[in-house]
Amino acid sequence: MKLSLDNVDMSISIVSMCLLPTALILVFFYAPVEATLGASHKIFYLHVSSAISMMVCFGLCGMSGLIFLLLSARQKKAKQVFDCVGVACAEMGIVLGAVVLTTGPLWAKKAWGTFWTWEPRLTLSLVVFLLFLGYVALRSFAGSDAFAKGVASGLAVLAMPLLYFIHFAVERWGGAHPQVVFKGGLVEPKMVLTFIFTLAAVVFTSTALVLARFRIERIRNKMDEVFLALDDMQNTEV
Amino acid sequence: MRAFFSILWKDLLIEFRTKDIIYPMALFSLVLLVIFSFAFLQDPKKAIDYGPGIVWVCVLFSSTVGQNRLFDKERENNCLSALLLCPCKPYTIFLAKVMMHLILASLVQLFSIPLILVFFDLSLVDSLSFVASLVLGNIGLAIIGTLFASMLTNSKMKEVLLPLVTYPLVIPLLVAGVKVSAIALGAPIFEDVNPWLRFMLGFDLFAGLLAFLLFERMIRQ
Repeated sequence: MKLSLDNVDMSISIVSMCLLPTALILVFFYAPVEATLGASHKIFYLHVSSAISMMVCFGLCGMSGLIFLLLSARQKKAKQVFDCVGVACAEMGIVLGAVVLTTGPLWAKKAWGTFWTWEPRLTLSLVVFLLFLGYVALRSFAGSDAFAKGVASGLAVLAMPLLYFIHFAVERWGGAHPQVVFKGGLVEPKMVLTFIFTLAAVVFTSTALVLARFRIERIRNKMDEVFLALDDMQNTEV
Repeated sequence: MRAFFSILWKDLLIEFRTKDIIYPMALFSLVLLVIFSFAFLQDPKKAIDYGPGIVWVCVLFSSTVGQNRLFDKERENNCLSALLLCPCKPYTIFLAKVMMHLILASLVQLFSIPLILVFFDLSLVDSLSFVASLVLGNIGLAIIGTLFASMLTNSKMKEVLLPLVTYPLVIPLLVAGVKVSAIALGAPIFEDVNPWLRFMLGFDLFAGLLAFLLFERMIRQ
């Protein structure tokens, strides 16, 4: 079998199709119920895995944006590749962010008694999510293509270091809110196993989707080129 | 340097004759003020709770109104491309536009902020840090807003996209600005203003450096 992107994507999809149900079964039937939080803590397996994958997606998006801007206009092929990586990662990140921002409040309602508090970590995830919604909106609505790509990449690049400032600000602004106890109880081997499985499932599924999105974007670019070439041909004939 | 001043002078001259950025900004601030007083002010004694926020929302919104129009004149006859052909570095244009926005925003705020203080019966305890926070905040807003406004000049949905993109990025300025102005207006917060002002200064320097590095690369795409 030839090792092409299509085949890689296909095999990752198959793996993730096996992993996802296994992870769900493990979460619901295998992982023990935590003593203080009860069954509600089981949402963490999905929540934390999605949050980690989301951050990785956004990181990749920022890096591909940076490379896109650094490459000169002559390296058109490479630019296109990194641009496609950026879109694919940003859109996947938004999907994962939606998962994080839905599962989080669901758990918080049970544990803290409220869906949302302006706690630094929550605020930061929300802001990151908004920034990349802006990225996708720029890509979709900002008019001419090359320009939109430049602006969106600029935003992704700018967002990365500025997140540090945002983090600092919301942390100080939040004042004396308690920090979320993060993975404090993850010592039980059954829990660790379940967590690893869920993380793998989410990572594989996201990778498969990112690759699929990447391929769509590549095909779209190629279609654009074909249309342009066709246009040129018709113009020269006239 | 001469290019910087001539671009700035050109913009100021056009603005002085048409006044089509500064009027909308000022009027918008005024309307916003009236709306805020209806929206928030049930109990005049609580003005100190809302006052700093109102100041900063006014600053933010009016600067967005200004930035949406800042590059409008360069759109006609594709003047932006002509401007980029100038024998000067692209960041000179950027700096001139930032300066232009700063001048306009300061003029508008010279008018709107005293009005806020009067309408909401607020009194300044520490006017120096209040002004410092406004200056630093405006510089940051101008840098980030102008960077994206210049890119979005030719976009049809600029009015929507600009706030969508810039607001999340300027959250740190807003947080720090509201904090400093609350302290400066005498809210019962027992914190030192200097770390916050230093934070704003750091943000401005950092955003300025990044914008300086990115502007040329972004506009050349």
